[in-house]
Amino acid sequence: MLDLKLLRDLRNMKGQMTAVVLVMACGLTMMIMARGLVVTLETTERNYYTSSRFADLFCDLKRAPRFVETRLGEISGVAALETSVKGTVVLDLPGMKQPADGVIHSLPDGRPRRLNRLVLKAGRLPGTDSRDEVVVSAGFADAHGFRPGDPLDFTVYGVRRRFRIVGVAVSPEYVYETRPGEMLPDPRRFAVLWMGERELSRALDLDGAFNSVAFRLAPGADPENIKAAVDRILEPYGGLSSYGRTRHPSAKLLRDEITQLRGFSIAFPAVFLSIAAFMVSAVLTRLVRLQREQIAQMKAFGYSPFAVGFHYVKFALVAVGVATLLSATLGMWAGSAFVSLYRRFFQFPSLQFVPDWRALAAALGASALTSVLGVLGAVRQAASLPPAEAMRPEAPARFTPTFLERIGLHGLVPPSFRMALRNMERKPWQALFTAVGLAFATAIPILPGVMGDGVDYLVDFQWNRAQRQDAVVSLIEPGDNGAFLSLSRLPGVLFAEPFRAVPVRLLHGHRQWETAITGLPASPRLNRLLDEREREVPLPSFGLLLSEKLAELLHLVPGDEVRVEVREGRRPVLHTVVSGTIMDFSGVSAYMEIDALRRLLGEGDTVNGAYLKVDPFYWDAFWKRVKGIPRIGTVTTTSGAKENFSRTTEEMMGTSQALYFVFAVIVSFGVIYNGARIALSERARDLATLRVLGFTRREVATILVLELALLTALSIAPGLYLGARLSEAVLATANTETMRFPLVLTTRTYVVAVLTVLASSFFSFAVVGRRVARLDLQAVLKSAE
Amino acid sequence: MTTASSPPLYRARGITKVYFPGEEMEVRALDGVDLDLHEGELAVLLGASGSGKSTLLNILGGLDVPTGGTLFYRDRDLTDADERDLTLFRRDVAGFVFQFYNLIPSLTARENVALITEIAPNPMPPEEALGLVGLADRMDAFPSQLSGGQQQRVAVARAIAKRPEVLLCDEPTGALDVNTGITVLEALERVNRELGTLVVLITHNAAIAAMADRVISLSAGRIVSVAPNATRVPARSLSW
Ligand SMILES: Nc1ncnc2c1ncn2[C@@H]1O[C@H](COP(=O)(O)OP(=O)(O)O)[C@@H](O)[C@H]1O
Ligand SMILES: [Mg+2]
Repeated sequence: MLDLKLLRDLRNMKGQMTAVVLVMACGLTMMIMARGLVVTLETTERNYYTSSRFADLFCDLKRAPRFVETRLGEISGVAALETSVKGTVVLDLPGMKQPADGVIHSLPDGRPRRLNRLVLKAGRLPGTDSRDEVVVSAGFADAHGFRPGDPLDFTVYGVRRRFRIVGVAVSPEYVYETRPGEMLPDPRRFAVLWMGERELSRALDLDGAFNSVAFRLAPGADPENIKAAVDRILEPYGGLSSYGRTRHPSAKLLRDEITQLRGFSIAFPAVFLSIAAFMVSAVLTRLVRLQREQIAQMKAFGYSPFAVGFHYVKFALVAVGVATLLSATLGMWAGSAFVSLYRRFFQFPSLQFVPDWRALAAALGASALTSVLGVLGAVRQAASLPPAEAMRPEAPARFTPTFLERIGLHGLVPPSFRMALRNMERKPWQALFTAVGLAFATAIPILPGVMGDGVDYLVDFQWNRAQRQDAVVSLIEPGDNGAFLSLSRLPGVLFAEPFRAVPVRLLHGHRQWETAITGLPASPRLNRLLDEREREVPLPSFGLLLSEKLAELLHLVPGDEVRVEVREGRRPVLHTVVSGTIMDFSGVSAYMEIDALRRLLGEGDTVNGAYLKVDPFYWDAFWKRVKGIPRIGTVTTTSGAKENFSRTTEEMMGTSQALYFVFAVIVSFGVIYNGARIALSERARDLATLRVLGFTRREVATILVLELALLTALSIAPGLYLGARLSEAVLATANTETMRFPLVLTTRTYVVAVLTVLASSFFSFAVVGRRVARLDLQAVLKSAE
Repeated sequence: MTTASSPPLYRARGITKVYFPGEEMEVRALDGVDLDLHEGELAVLLGASGSGKSTLLNILGGLDVPTGGTLFYRDRDLTDADERDLTLFRRDVAGFVFQFYNLIPSLTARENVALITEIAPNPMPPEEALGLVGLADRMDAFPSQLSGGQQQRVAVARAIAKRPEVLLCDEPTGALDVNTGITVLEALERVNRELGTLVVLITHNAAIAAMADRVISLSAGRIVSVAPNATRVPARSLSW
């Protein structure tokens, strides 16, 4: 019987219930999607790393003879190790004027790898004693449509040869398949290749030696001790510092992505779910108050207070139930959509969306609990009313002049305005809650705007303001001024700027960071360094300039002394100071005036490459010549990098932005519509009375929405502020050494947020205003309040 | 003080009001009512509960339209007026007093009156209207601070402040005790006398009928008698 009443009441409140359910579903959808993505990536990562025996520790070196392997294996705590050779390649691809570059690794001949095993997606591994057989990475193969059997031309160690693709594979070392030092995959222009060890060592002139080693540690082993031992053993062989997964380029980027997602998967749903809980409680409190008499009757008929209370709690449960069904469907769908985007970033053997059922249960529990708590107060009050008392109407509402009137602004506002003001002042908590809801409704649309503008600003800052080169050319081995001059004389080169890059370890106190110091001319004209206000920062004749993020990571401020352990050549240990910081958004770097750096290293005119300004009419000639110079390792173009960034990031951003925007619209509409409906039900009697007294529908509707319109107007400014702070918090969770997004708050973003709220208000007011026409004028005259 | 010579304000001919027509539960709330009401008159509608008094008053006040028959207010055809015309009629011509006062709780007595005078073409100041019902000293009180009789007098002041030509009162004393009821009736009497407003007053209390010029009795949706009183008994002298 009570359930029949439940159904009927629900039908009468379907507008409000829909609003509540939609807002709740937004929160749950986001939660299911984001938590699901976290679980998906984490499970896939864990399973992949385990099954492929992904190493725990890595070290690159110049060249060590085979027997050193035995010594490394004797380090206590090393469970397994694998030595290999690796080198860089330049690929001449059909249909591409610009050469691509890549990394080539060796595969043991005649046995599978012990660590970092490949997973074949097509074809096979190179055979024993094979010649000219290579396996290519899946990302690269997909970008070019390569299949086993296709030929592939590339240059290894200055020798250009034709190879044959025998397999397409993914490797746990290249889940995130990026060029060393870069933050985004560039599968068209970057390749990872594998080849038999004997053949590759010969090609790299590393016969009987290795230049890369990976370790798997025994459970419980202390990685720091092992690292130290490895570094000590490899030091004489040109070893760079060994590093764990936390510094492994691919593993770290994958971790960063998961960290970002994890923050997002908690903060956002929490905001939405609290708004929804607040809405449920507002709707049900109102319902309970309207149904005082019915509650009394139910109790008079002998329903226990518990049964009556539970009856109203069921409303909340119905809302939660419907929202769950809706969001489970939507969340799975959105999660799968994101997973297919992730497949372009992450190369796993397979990546399928795995919903996080536990999180879903938790979210369900949380929203059910908050909703139930929200209504419990009202329900307890209703259920505890003695039947006789509940039959009487609620005592007439008490009003007093508002603060504004007490301070003498009495005559300034018409009575309709005073009604609104006094309503607010009489129920300040309700007004405050509505205002908070409205502020969130204004704040949430700011986020997608900030995301989009941040990316736009980043692109503009990085590639229009800071970096003005058209191409960066790196040499395979450092060269002298002659090498620089030959780069500057490439066809079409209008201007060339040399750079020196030295791998170092920076130390400050107990903190350290592996990076490279880039030496640049004192006032670079191409690779300019800018501060956060886009002003050029010249390189001082002494000392380092650091990325702001790097300074933060090392707890350094300008003026601090820093220890520099050079990781190449004679490996000097130097001391210098931090002269300043610069602004950049991806990765972290350290810079020094090129001659100061050379002096510090005690060298002459060494360069690692050059930044070039190229006459656009000469690109063909430029590429043709570049392909013929074996000393050139990689050439990246600014237009290529920019295009690659825009393509990969914009798609991801575009999808999240669209999702956010839809959610923002739903929340703002839900909150305002709900507020308007509550106002209507609370004041139906007054409004009908006014209609009887000759007020037109329009006048009455105006009086109805005045209070909400006032609250909306009052909430806009705090809402914009809240939106800015919310965006800042979200960007802070995304602030990693890999990637940082600038907080860019444009007028357009604010205008869009305000327009969203105004449009929602307008629409809600219109819907509720139409209900004014349906007020029963005669009924209000027949009944007491 | 019936001015039978001048044309009546209201001319109702054969008006019927049928709820749920054609259905099993069809209700004939009014069943052919002929009635003229004149300027300056105080008429009491008397009848048992469910006899159709409120239905008739609502139709006279432009809250509803009859199902059949014709109804004119002066030259205005209220028979099948649309929503806009009815709203304008209520706004400009008719004043209402209800059994449950229907004041706006968030506004003071003065403001409740001012709310209406703001949209009226030729209102009196709210203070004057409240003075007429004897509430000059309670103008800044909120409804919750007033007794039932005082609240009902605020409702009368609200109804008369726009100087309506007719004042329609549906059981204005129904929720009040005798003494407070009488103060309200006195206010209505005064308005009728001093402003010349046509007052139509519904009651099921026969004692009140003595203050009327004419007593119109309804039963089952029909007028069963129209009885003029030779003299009007002042409200002050009524008792029940
Ligand atoms: N809105 C309505 N819908 C259906 N029946 C109604 C409605 N209003 C009044 N009635 C019926 O019309 C008849 C007359 O009612 P009413 O005019 O309110 O009587 P009174 O005011 O004399 O007590 C009653 O039988 C009542 O039930
Ligand atoms: Mg009645």
